Amino acid sequence: MTAAPQVTVIAIGNPYRRDDGAGGAVLTALGARFGDDERVRLVELDGESVRLVQAWEGSTTVWIVDAVRSGRPFGSFHEIDATCLADLDDTGARLGGGHLLGLGEAVELATVLELLPPRLRVLGVEGETFENGEGLSESTRRGVESAANFLIAEVSAALLDP
Amino acid sequence: MTHEHRARRFGVEALTRVEGEGGLIVEVHEGELVDVRLRIFEPPRFFEGFLVGRDYTEPVDITARICGICPVAYQMSACHALEAVCEVEVDDALRALRHLLYCGEWIESHVLHIHLLHAPDFLGYANGIALAADHRAEVERGLRLKKLGNRIVEVVGGRAVHPVNVKVGGFYSTPSVAAMQDLADELRQGLEAAVDIARWVSTFPMPDHEMPEGTVLVSLRHPTEYPILGERLVSTTGLDISADEYLDHFTEEHVEHSTALHGRMLAGGDYLVGPLARFVLNADRLAPQAASLAAEFGLTPAERNPFKSIIVRAIETVHACEVALGIVEGYSPPARTAVPVTPRAGAGCGWSEAPRGLLWHRYELDDAGRVVSAHIVPPTSQNQPSIEHDLAHLIEHSLHLDDAALEALCEQAVRNYDPCISCATHFLDMRVVRS
Repeated sequence: MTAAPQVTVIAIGNPYRRDDGAGGAVLTALGARFGDDERVRLVELDGESVRLVQAWEGSTTVWIVDAVRSGRPFGSFHEIDATCLADLDDTGARLGGGHLLGLGEAVELATVLELLPPRLRVLGVEGETFENGEGLSESTRRGVESAANFLIAEVSAALLDP
Repeated sequence: MTHEHRARRFGVEALTRVEGEGGLIVEVHEGELVDVRLRIFEPPRFFEGFLVGRDYTEPVDITARICGICPVAYQMSACHALEAVCEVEVDDALRALRHLLYCGEWIESHVLHIHLLHAPDFLGYANGIALAADHRAEVERGLRLKKLGNRIVEVVGGRAVHPVNVKVGGFYSTPSVAAMQDLADELRQGLEAAVDIARWVSTFPMPDHEMPEGTVLVSLRHPTEYPILGERLVSTTGLDISADEYLDHFTEEHVEHSTALHGRMLAGGDYLVGPLARFVLNADRLAPQAASLAAEFGLTPAERNPFKSIIVRAIETVHACEVALGIVEGYSPPARTAVPVTPRAGAGCGWSEAPRGLLWHRYELDDAGRVVSAHIVPPTSQNQPSIEHDLAHLIEHSLHLDDAALEALCEQAVRNYDPCISCATHFLDMRVVRS
């Protein structure tokens, strides 16, 4: 049985809902750097809670990348501890594409089943438009680039920490 | 008690544990049920318009994005319809791989619905998380089986979510023998788990209820198989038609309270698709262990209690494991990964049985193989009128319950149909108004 990758990066979103495809775009950028690294698992999911839990099982560091709409400037990105998702609710922020319940429930389910990774972070890229159609807005495209650079540095650092 | 029933309106503002977003309003006046409306308020998805002008190769991948839970269903129905336009028939070996891929999706979808969406209703829990806290072993067993469903989709479809290996005419690549042997080992264990799950579900307390008399059940039918990839459409009223004849018998209409279309029979009346309809019309096509369990649980084609759909889902999961195991054990790599497809101008229809029921597609292509028009009828929009009528029937016999109990019962009843509002548009939220 192969060992679980040390780091898992999960992108959530729908490329046919414009900026909801931000997570997938970040993942593509990470693929160029970590695509052949067996210590890193890059996976695109729809946000369904069980799939999330099963995708991160065994990894010590997990990043979830999704588009968000929190009222902050378009194209900015923010990182939070995924176990603090309830705080996002209090501030009115929402993960784009209707995935928040899936992720929140995934954290709760993983807690009950003792499958919560030691480090579970969410990277949200502030989306400008979630209408039907393809292609990121210009602001989100720039946000994806910055978020990908940030995440490449974070994943590289995590790999140095055995 | 009577005065309490004079003015009564209740609802679920946002129905949970269904795929998508929607709501339910129930109005009761002087103890009499006045109205039940399933409200769908997610903006409609314009996938059909989105497909126009696209190359004939694209709907298979684009429609898979309509739903994260049943992308394979969209891919298969799209393939069948586009292959009908192009007058192509896939080889038996490729069809078997499609059957296997679809079994993976059925396992995933049914197991998720049983454990985290519906079982909490029967066992008195607020949600799947609370259920998992008290029934950890059962939930872990279910999640292991769901993971096997994911694995099947990944091996055949290229990845577990929104598979990328399916094309008109077949696949881009076919699995290795080694990968299939690994699946066989997992499936033998998975089948045992599926049987245990079915026996567990069969012990759930079942509300005593029957769907309204005259409800027409509709399902695909195949000469020898349980109809995941069925060929004809049959009904409890004797209908027996091809995919091309679908619009001669069924239609969709707009209703004010929903952004999803409502399915109707042109001959008049509602109809129901999904696991219970499939079982009623195809019980004789179940794989041996699944058929044996149905007999053990006393389920027959006369069954009309929609709450027992959770048992049918568990039996269908056993069936999917048995079929998948048979395909995997007999696997040798197909002679070719796909049959050649030459696009041609024309129209064609195709269908398959998504976990939630019949999914029909129709495409029209031009000479260059571009989509001129697309028409998709998902299971949830077909079921919405029947769900409303079944709820009305249930509520009429349950008005003695207080609002909280009635709301809980209604939510449980809606989940009998496992509505996928992502497909029909999206769903759920409830209000009861007593006046």
